Amino acid sequence: MADEFAKGLGIFTGAGLVWLVLAGWYNTPSFEGPQLTGANPSDPGTYEAIAIALKDGMFWFAVLGALTFWVIIPAARQLYASYEAE
Amino acid sequence: MTDDNDTNETRTDGSGPGIVAPDDEVPTWRERKERTQGLSRLTYEYFERARREDQDLRQESSYVERDVLGFPTWPHELIRNLALTSFFVGMILFLSATLPPEMLDVADPSTTPAIILPDWYLYWSFGLLKLGPLNPELSLLGGEKMMADRTYGVVANIVVVGIIAMVPFLNKGSARRPVEQPFWAAVGVGGVVFAMTISALAVKNLVPIDTHLLFDLTFLLPIVAGTISYAVLKSMREGYMFDLNRRYYRLRPPK
Repeated sequence: MADEFAKGLGIFTGAGLVWLVLAGWYNTPSFEGPQLTGANPSDPGTYEAIAIALKDGMFWFAVLGALTFWVIIPAARQLYASYEAE
Repeated sequence: MTDDNDTNETRTDGSGPGIVAPDDEVPTWRERKERTQGLSRLTYEYFERARREDQDLRQESSYVERDVLGFPTWPHELIRNLALTSFFVGMILFLSATLPPEMLDVADPSTTPAIILPDWYLYWSFGLLKLGPLNPELSLLGGEKMMADRTYGVVANIVVVGIIAMVPFLNKGSARRPVEQPFWAAVGVGGVVFAMTISALAVKNLVPIDTHLLFDLTFLLPIVAGTISYAVLKSMREGYMFDLNRRYYRLRPPK
């Protein structure tokens, strides 16, 4: 169980850090308004488009990865163990 | 009555199935008597007296006996601390390189900003200055307040800090887990929640809740949170091994 927690935590923090940096670059127009959640740049170049796609991917990787290792896999193991016990 | 019924029991004359014949290692009655006197007795008394003296010395001293093992500073502690320090220094360098903070305009001392707020960790004190609705209007004074609202806020600061300063004298902190003392754990939860709600009251212009509702929630939420935590911890007491930590944190009782 501890291993699965560490995997989920590593995915959550690592992917979250990359998302934080990229969102700070492209989605923080100023520190007076919404930060990290601003609108995407209207006319992104090639590298900006790649970075924005990577940012979205990292966000969902952090959410779904943590959900997988913290909830889905332990729940599946519990179900399998209860199924084996019967 | 015949002897046939007694064949499975030991007989008083020493015969029977339960008697084990003596071998070479079984001490004789003479050897047993010799061990309780003479040199063996002297040796026993010597070691017993030494053990008793050692016990008395340890009980008289203020030395706290613990079962916890210690580890050498080098390399165990320092390698771990260097790893942690390197991680946090690297994180600071990474964040400051990738997300440099915005350089705002220089502060203008001749104009007052629209919103004046202290640093966030002082919001609780700032919120205590906004307790004007609690300042009683005394009929003895003809419906007037005994002190101004701003004075009342300063007095509220003194009262809250005084209560916080009294808590360590009321509870010595001998519990190792919140379940061991649910009441004081509930007091702590209520205090933390009150620190958050009074901080929210300090910035009530920015909180999207009705001001009067926020003022009521400021004092109701800590009570609700403390009650819930008290009930939860009280129900967790069943089955908790109170002696679990005593073995590791064995403190001598005061004389």
